[in-house]
Amino acid sequence: MADLNRRSSPPPALGSRNCDDPKIEYKEIAYLAKFLTPQANIYSRKRTGFCAQCQRELKQAIKRARHMGLMPFVA
Amino acid sequence: MKLYEGMFLLDNQAVRENWSRAKAGVTDILAKYGAKVLTARHWDERKLAYPIKGRTRGTYLLCFFECGSDGVNQMRRDLEIDERVLRYLLVNATAVPAGELEKCQAEGAADFAAPTPPADERVSAERLVFGEFADRPVVDRSRASAPANDEAEGEESEVEAPVAGEGV
Repeated sequence: MADLNRRSSPPPALGSRNCDDPKIEYKEIAYLAKFLTPQANIYSRKRTGFCAQCQRELKQAIKRARHMGLMPFVA
Repeated sequence: MKLYEGMFLLDNQAVRENWSRAKAGVTDILAKYGAKVLTARHWDERKLAYPIKGRTRGTYLLCFFECGSDGVNQMRRDLEIDERVLRYLLVNATAVPAGELEKCQAEGAADFAAPTPPADERVSAERLVFGEFADRPVVDRSRASAPANDEAEGEESEVEAPVAGEGV
């Protein structure tokens, strides 16, 4: 029974942010696009491996990019 | 006086007529409310992720300016009214990024010519409302199940034949 309820292992985290990574900013569209699902949802912190502050900045940056028409709300 | 970063999405129609006039239209609004415009440059011309006010392409203007907080609220109202500005984003900035001044000065040079934006894709009313769903072919199931019609119309029968096959 336990086996039936067990979920398949989640995808590994993308890894934490390094110092040489691009700045989290709404203009860095190519970088931000890495953190979107094919439907353009934002990946969870579990998936991105970001700390709380970075994840918050990522969320803010993606939402700003969406507002400016640089990234999709739904793809 | 605080430092702000402003990104403005401009209508390609205005940019095609005259880029410097389109740019001046925005910087004049900023200056009207006491902003000191430090840089203003052509950031990019690109396809939009989704249609905005019926446009599928737009030109982005990136500005850094110093302004009081009252002025920002007042210029927001003017930017909303201006038809050339499709979208705008005003955020606080800590400093003008390195290289930004040089890029702005390069644009101020006499030989600078803003690239002419390509023609806008046509957006049908259906596509504006339904997005990509509007592109999906409409499968008429009642016709697909009637084999007599398929032979009469050559081109359509090729498309609809597999659908009829699946149904059976």
